[in-house]
Amino acid sequence: MRLYTIFMDNLPSILSGIMVTIKLSIISLLMAVILGILFGIFRLSKIRILEGIAASYLYIIRGTPLMVQALFIYFGIAPLIIPRSDPFICGVIALSLNAGAYMSEIFRAGILAVDFGQTEASRSLGLSYLKTMQKVILPQAIKIMIPSIINQFIVTIKDTSILTVISIRELTASGQIIVARNFRPLETYGVIAVMYFLLITVLSLLSSYVERRLHRGHKSN
Amino acid sequence: MVIKAINIKKNFGDLEVLKDISLEIREGEVVCIIGPSGSGKSTLLRCLNRLEEIQAGNINILGKDLVKNKKIDNIRENIGMVFQHFNLFPHLTVLENMILAPVELKKMSKGDAIKKAEELLDQVGLFDKRDVYPDTLSGGQKQRAAIARALEMNPKIMLFDEPTSALDPEMVGEVLIVMKDLAAKGMTMVIVTHEMGFARDVADRVIFMDQGYILENDTPEKIFTNPACERCREFLNKVINCE
Repeated sequence: MRLYTIFMDNLPSILSGIMVTIKLSIISLLMAVILGILFGIFRLSKIRILEGIAASYLYIIRGTPLMVQALFIYFGIAPLIIPRSDPFICGVIALSLNAGAYMSEIFRAGILAVDFGQTEASRSLGLSYLKTMQKVILPQAIKIMIPSIINQFIVTIKDTSILTVISIRELTASGQIIVARNFRPLETYGVIAVMYFLLITVLSLLSSYVERRLHRGHKSN
Repeated sequence: MVIKAINIKKNFGDLEVLKDISLEIREGEVVCIIGPSGSGKSTLLRCLNRLEEIQAGNINILGKDLVKNKKIDNIRENIGMVFQHFNLFPHLTVLENMILAPVELKKMSKGDAIKKAEELLDQVGLFDKRDVYPDTLSGGQKQRAAIARALEMNPKIMLFDEPTSALDPEMVGEVLIVMKDLAAKGMTMVIVTHEMGFARDVADRVIFMDQGYILENDTPEKIFTNPACERCREFLNKVINCE
């Protein structure tokens, strides 16, 4: 009952927090997918310099915590460019770069997981490298990648909470503000946790629906 | 000559797989390449459509230089290849497997491609399998579908890389029949195989390879009855006595 009261009393605050979290997640994930494809292809390109760039990017991101990345971008780099930078934009940049690195590994691994004989068969028919990717390799690779991509989506949605450290008013920050007012951390953070849980459950349901659709018709090899 | 390879060399790192190979194949000729595993016969075949790059020498296919050609895809359109492990596209039906390349490369309209595909499927005895996915086919059916897919492009040359080696014994025959049929129609075929009976019956010429060299290059009668080199005699004794 008390959970419900706290939820209702702070509805505007919670809702605006959720909206920020969703916006952060969607924008960052879109950017991350683009970065992931780009750097995934760099890794596979067999062009030394591109491979090197993509590998360094991956190792730097993987080797440092997201919180440090966010602090570094917001307090370290952003002031060098513009005097009063927007924490939301810095947050999106940090999160995109972070998720993009992991995504590039997912794309690389997915493409490599498709048997090389598929590439050879397609090329031997006279199809170009790009056509082969588009018509033969990617349709198979995406099926392999989907569980990992969804997993990364979920990780990234939860990681938005780390961005409270650069003063973004997303869901977790809203919780902190509410607690500062009502001194009820148990119930308030409980409500916040339920909100995340619902958000991610919706995504999970959606993704298992997509997965089922993709596997309809034939076995996955 | 539709295929002309001159002094080609191929290394995998320090390992020399092909050491100075020269080879000529005429139009309509059926050539079987035999030899022990590791002799370089599959590698040689794969060099003929540049799935492997060679380190030295020259290859000419249908009058065009293969090695440095920027338009490799145009040459490959004319060379069908059949693989040991079929390499059908599992996300496409048999028919879709066949029409993908000709339609994408705008060689045929989709309607024409389907019509031709159905004729070919009829020829290889798979007409009723046109709309199924490759997973549901047996090994022999997969390989027949793969041959049909290669033929759909109207190739002038067909390369076969151990087409029956991954098949259960009772399915070897159905694939060999399709290949025999193709040979009878005058297709230029280069076949890496362990099927000595097939080589003897169908080939115009048999090439024996060992350790990166061509040791014999002669008619099947000559090679199977009276091989010139000791190494070939030894190999044939082992293989044929096992059969």
